[in-house]
Amino acid sequence: MIRSTKNNDNSIFRRRWNKFKTLKRGYYSLIALLFLYIMSFFLPLLINNKALVVKYNNEYYFPIIKGYISGETFGQDVPGEAKYRSLKETFKNDENSNNWVLMPFYPYSPFEDITYDGNKMYQPPSLKHWLGTDNTGRDVFARLCYAFNISISFALILTIINYIVGILVGGAMGYYGGKFDLFFQRIIEVWSSLPMLFVIIIISSILKPSFFLLIGIYTLVNWISMTYLIRAEFYREKAKPYVAAALSMGQSNFKIMFKHILANSLVPIITYFPFSVVAGISALVGLDYLGFGLAPPTPSWGQMLDVGLSNISKWWMVFSPVTAQFFTLLAIVFIGEGVREAFDPKVYSRLR
Amino acid sequence: MSQEKLIEIKNLKTFFNTEAGIARAVNDVSFDIYKGEVLGIVGESGSGKSVTSMSINRLIPNPPGEIVGGEIFYKGKDLLKYSYEQMSEIRGKEISMIFQEPMTSLNPVLRISSQMNEILVKHEGLIEEEATKKSIEMLKRVGIPEPERRIYDYPHQFSGGMRQRVMIAIALACDPKVLIADEPTTALDVTIQAQILDIVKRLRKELGMAIIWITHDLGVVAGIADRVAVMYGGFIVEQAPVKKLYSTPKHPYTQGLLSTLPKLEGERTERLESIKGQPPDLHNIPDSCPFAPRCIHVSEKCQNENPRLEMTDPEHQVACWWNTEKENYSS
Repeated sequence: MIRSTKNNDNSIFRRRWNKFKTLKRGYYSLIALLFLYIMSFFLPLLINNKALVVKYNNEYYFPIIKGYISGETFGQDVPGEAKYRSLKETFKNDENSNNWVLMPFYPYSPFEDITYDGNKMYQPPSLKHWLGTDNTGRDVFARLCYAFNISISFALILTIINYIVGILVGGAMGYYGGKFDLFFQRIIEVWSSLPMLFVIIIISSILKPSFFLLIGIYTLVNWISMTYLIRAEFYREKAKPYVAAALSMGQSNFKIMFKHILANSLVPIITYFPFSVVAGISALVGLDYLGFGLAPPTPSWGQMLDVGLSNISKWWMVFSPVTAQFFTLLAIVFIGEGVREAFDPKVYSRLR
Repeated sequence: MSQEKLIEIKNLKTFFNTEAGIARAVNDVSFDIYKGEVLGIVGESGSGKSVTSMSINRLIPNPPGEIVGGEIFYKGKDLLKYSYEQMSEIRGKEISMIFQEPMTSLNPVLRISSQMNEILVKHEGLIEEEATKKSIEMLKRVGIPEPERRIYDYPHQFSGGMRQRVMIAIALACDPKVLIADEPTTALDVTIQAQILDIVKRLRKELGMAIIWITHDLGVVAGIADRVAVMYGGFIVEQAPVKKLYSTPKHPYTQGLLSTLPKLEGERTERLESIKGQPPDLHNIPDSCPFAPRCIHVSEKCQNENPRLEMTDPEHQVACWWNTEKENYSS
């Protein structure tokens, strides 16, 4: 098939992407955030108290893959699972054997507490614990990193689900109009008059939410704003002549909605996305801080903040989650600002 | 001309429910379209010519518009009884449309290839590669230079005339039997108009479809149509083969329209004529001749009764009391 590369570069989204790349603040924020987020999926390999490889009596063990291996397997006198950090020390001191342990780069897990292998409470930052330990002896840095992954994942999944609901319901409302539109408008009006924070607190105090249940509860609240945005877009676009032209050529409603109209409504949808993610992260932090978010052992910034504030004299416990949150949200807002600028046809409105 | 009826419209009524009341945009209109002919529909703004053509394809926005009565037979089947799915099989495959606004009738964010291929994929069941080949072929036919390259362009990279060519290519891609052209040259400048007319004339010869050409430009109609229907206030007031209509217009409105055209012959000092008055308010059409308030031949009968379309000779129909009486006197 003949395709000229020169003409393919004329896609408006390609031009916007090229413009986005020239806005350094947003572009580098995006790269940094993407890199960190992708890295955070490999956290069990980087930050963990389970060894990657153990060589013991000429046999190789991979606890990171296999999971539970009892301490007795390695001749360790502990109840239950092997303590790999002390195992490493033991093997190192025993110069006669060629046993060894390969630990992850940062050998602490976010879930181990004071009962585990010599952990101490309120350790200030040191080379051992980069950001100290908290009131139950957990490593703050490990928890911070895991919480990063959870926060971003939560916000992304929440936003995407909101978008799917919003595009389906809002799109149908705007496109079909009539009684369907009226019906859903009234539902949205009633729904949005509920005091949502209380609804969430009540539901999550009854149900003890897991990650996905919390997303479900939040979607119940958040689908409204997206739906209204998409409805307005579809309502405006459906009156344009290209829709009539597509209809007159026998195109199906589905194709018209999701190929023709949606492609023309992408600007507000995309520019809204980063800010929606910011809102999602803040919402999770807020709920966790109040204690109605994810169930306790889960590492989360809100819960760390709560603990930190009740131990205000241990500065690292407050400083760490606040700083992490600040820079994450700042990076996303920079991305959002860059996206908005890249999509803005008016050149003079660039922020300098 | 073969006499096989393709579309038969009987007593079509399309009304719009507006806040000011019911606007009778199309009021009891009947006409036929034969295979391979070009029917011109002429009328001023608001005479119902666009609504008539949109009704054929069932593209009246509802609400507020509604086809309240009549029948539209396509090859003997009533389109008004079709479901949405059945209708979408007809649209684009059997009856195609081109619109007035080439600048906005193409989706601005999709490539031409994507917009052309989707029609071929839907109606002809082609796979993407075959559809691209056919699309390039169609673009070549409407005179787009370098179609192999241009098909991957976006609409904003085309000029107005080129976009209208693309629209024609899309409309004719599936080889429809009827093409409805809703003022396709109005938004273009005169040289481009002539090119578009030539393309349509040539393609009509090649593909043999019937065309309904809607316009307010009597010159364009004279150049392309076989038969002309003149609409006024939601009614067809006169219908005749194009030569006959131009040589012996019978309805005072048609006569008025033709006399408003500038002429090359005649005195320079002569002022261009105009039809005095305003077109009727569609919300409030009395049971009289809609043209009566502006007619120079108005009589008492015109104020009391709406004339029906009547044959004056086998090919010529006119709805006018003055004319009927005149005919009666002369015979």
